[in-house]
Amino acid sequence: MREKIMYALGAVGSALLIYNLYVILLQLPDEANQGAIYRIMFYHIPAFFTAGFCYITALVGSSMYLIKKDLYWDALAVSATEVGLAFAAINLITGSIWGRIIWGIWWAWDPRMTWALICWLVYFGYMMLRRAIDDPTERAKIASVLSIFAMVSVSITWKAIEWWRTQHPGPVLSFRTGGQKRVDSPIEHMIYQNWWALLMIAAVFLMIRMRQEQTQREIDSLRRQAHAL
Amino acid sequence: MSLFFRQSMTVMVKDLRSEFRSKEAINASLSFAIVILLMFSFAFDPSSDAIKEMSGGLLWIVFAFAGALILNRSFARELANDCLDALVSSPVSGAALFFGKSLANLVLLVGIEMLCFPVFGIFYGVEWWKQLDSLFLVVVLATWGLTVIGTMFSALTVNLRLRELMLPMLLYPMMIPALMAAMQLTTALISGQPLTGDAYTWLRLLIGFDIIFTALSLALVETVLVR
Amino acid sequence: MDERNFTYMFYGFGVTWAIIAIYVMILAGREKGIQKQLESLRRILEDKK
Repeated sequence: MREKIMYALGAVGSALLIYNLYVILLQLPDEANQGAIYRIMFYHIPAFFTAGFCYITALVGSSMYLIKKDLYWDALAVSATEVGLAFAAINLITGSIWGRIIWGIWWAWDPRMTWALICWLVYFGYMMLRRAIDDPTERAKIASVLSIFAMVSVSITWKAIEWWRTQHPGPVLSFRTGGQKRVDSPIEHMIYQNWWALLMIAAVFLMIRMRQEQTQREIDSLRRQAHAL
Repeated sequence: MSLFFRQSMTVMVKDLRSEFRSKEAINASLSFAIVILLMFSFAFDPSSDAIKEMSGGLLWIVFAFAGALILNRSFARELANDCLDALVSSPVSGAALFFGKSLANLVLLVGIEMLCFPVFGIFYGVEWWKQLDSLFLVVVLATWGLTVIGTMFSALTVNLRLRELMLPMLLYPMMIPALMAAMQLTTALISGQPLTGDAYTWLRLLIGFDIIFTALSLALVETVLVR
Repeated sequence: MDERNFTYMFYGFGVTWAIIAIYVMILAGREKGIQKQLESLRRILEDKK
């Protein structure tokens, strides 16, 4: 059943991504000032929100592990963090490329991109910490605590950085500007559409990764059996 | 409640006493801080006026690096002779143990920082003592943020092989809001500027940071320590 | 389509797809490793029985 969901999501997600690519490149109108580069937004923005979803999922997984002590939740946490890191990397690099054109520099130290980098480093630290602990239960426990700290830290850092002047474009999506349309409809729709596609891909990655965690646990128990015999 | 504070005080006094007996961490940390201050003098012209603008940033980088040495030892020193297991299984609650150690680290770190200020003043010709009371408040608040998270991560990483490497790597990104606030406030206070409205925002950020992470650490430390 | 800044747009798209592809390869590589471990362990257990 789970396999079927995985394949379905993967197929639909990939198909949507390809279809969106076609629309993005060939059908959507041009933007007056930026030339072709604005189309990068169709990956930059959805990747950010996808990474955000992943990190929140990781927080849920970590918290549930501390409550229930079931390693399934730990598997969810590590898988979500890993997938989140991949999409956050996409967000960072596409943002940097966009900035190179619009602002003339590869890295402008603007608050939001700086915050995104800090976020990435914090969760990368989480992955590094996991690698340093061998015992699965101990690792799950320590990593879960760190994950909670990470989410709190990332939230506080966001608030702190908001207090600086921002060079980053302000919110343009309707739900952020309270309904006023700052950006043309087909463009905004495509952003959401690509977001769905990326979310589906992320979900498939997450499920595959979680299954790998589970298989690894089976291997560990088989190994203990083999040693016992 | 008072039991908690009494237990914390006991742990704090124990840690401070043990540290003052050997003075290992204090010496290492202080010399490290002075060496970094020295090295920074080669990074840019120490006599220029620009130093005043960089003073906050420079000092807090020094404090963060020197602090990592002290924070690392916080729980690591209990590993020998199974002291950590003894402490955890004692009637002292994990939270009190953590709080006591954090207080001890705070005292040590603030002491080192207040020693660094005169050295900084001498090396870079900056009159840093003009607003000493506000400066001291900022130092204590920011150092508490550093200490609370640092001691917590010291507990997290106590059993790891690469403890000395992991602690700074995990600590610094999380410290960025507090360090940001501390750097801004310190620069303003050292260069003699009066505290503007902006400064109160940074101060509120610092206080909020301290409260949130103290609460979070106290809540989670028991989970971390009990094997 | 407006051709200005086309190259950099291409780089951006390229990076996005590259990262997705790299992650797929990482997952696939890990899967292969896991399957290999599983196989060898099952064989060991069969032999021992």
